[in-house]
Amino acid sequence: MEDSQVRKFQKDLNGGLVALVLLAVLAATQEDLYGYEIAKRLQRANEGEALFKEGTVYPVLRALSAAGLLTSRIVPSYSGPPRRYYRITDEGRTMFDQYRGVWRQTRDFVDRFIEAGITP
Amino acid sequence: MTPAAPRSIDAYLKQLRDALADQDPALIQDAAYDAEEYLRAEIAAHPDKSEADVLELIASTYGAPEEVAAAYRETEAKVKAALQPPARPAVQAPSMLRSFFSVYRDPRAYTSLFVISLGEGRLIEAMTGERMPRRPVHPGPKLSLWAGIVAMLKDARTWTTLAYFILMLPLGIIYFVIATVGLAFGLTFTLAIPIEVLHHFDLIGASIQPAWLATAPMLIALNIIGIIVLTTLLHAARGIARAHARIAKRLLVTPG
Repeated sequence: MEDSQVRKFQKDLNGGLVALVLLAVLAATQEDLYGYEIAKRLQRANEGEALFKEGTVYPVLRALSAAGLLTSRIVPSYSGPPRRYYRITDEGRTMFDQYRGVWRQTRDFVDRFIEAGITP
Repeated sequence: MTPAAPRSIDAYLKQLRDALADQDPALIQDAAYDAEEYLRAEIAAHPDKSEADVLELIASTYGAPEEVAAAYRETEAKVKAALQPPARPAVQAPSMLRSFFSVYRDPRAYTSLFVISLGEGRLIEAMTGERMPRRPVHPGPKLSLWAGIVAMLKDARTWTTLAYFILMLPLGIIYFVIATVGLAFGLTFTLAIPIEVLHHFDLIGASIQPAWLATAPMLIALNIIGIIVLTTLLHAARGIARAHARIAKRLLVTPG
């Protein structure tokens, strides 16, 4: 019961954060990345239990691509179906800057209350 | 009832497809494609483990088929809402005249004019709003060269795709004729008055022929006919695009 409530809270939080993190990963690299690589980078950076399942990365990549924030190209692969490589667009970088501003503001705002609650 | 955890890529993809059964076939194809890319890459990254061993851990990394299906369903709903203009609530039934001319305010009517003979897949989706796959169909289990050729020949989609391209020739000609003839007549008629005025002041060589058409009542009549022709053309283009998108989807996208 408690556990499922915590999971639901995490899921609600993740709504827009997955998109922000994906934009951050693609903005920080010069290379094009495909879904699996991106998922693995996130997994490596994460200690303990994953914040979100790697499978949820793919539909968000497609949504960002449909919104013009990412471009993609298909490259044949020996190990399976052709891979779709993603790259951030200029529009995506602009959006990322704005998202980042919103995130920092949100984080500071929330922290102000939470930290106030802990410190005597 | 939750199905048993899948132990192979094929079983995983089947469960994923089943979980998305109520969704657009194009979305199912995309989801299966993404999952297969991940699963095959994961198996390739662990050469020491068997397919079943890798799949056993998939629910905690990639996510169980139902979880992944839920993620696609949610994202699709959001993207749909973002990409498509919200349906205008019908306050009252607009008059026939109004609904006839409201076609000018529908951007799809204009883009539909050009879907004509240009559009497969992405184009069809962008211009008609019909959801088409954003990924190629997944290749299925690896086959030997010969088995692959036989499978391709046996695949109904191979033949429906060929049929689609053959059908595109006559359909393309018909769409093109409708578009060019409609535009030529519609624009000339609509612009009949300015053409005749400019001709009168010797500013352009073109004029309305024969001369009995170049009278004031006739020019006004031409103008009205021109507007009706143009508007009807936009309606026709939108209708053709819808019908064409259905044909394309029927022939190019494998159901489920």
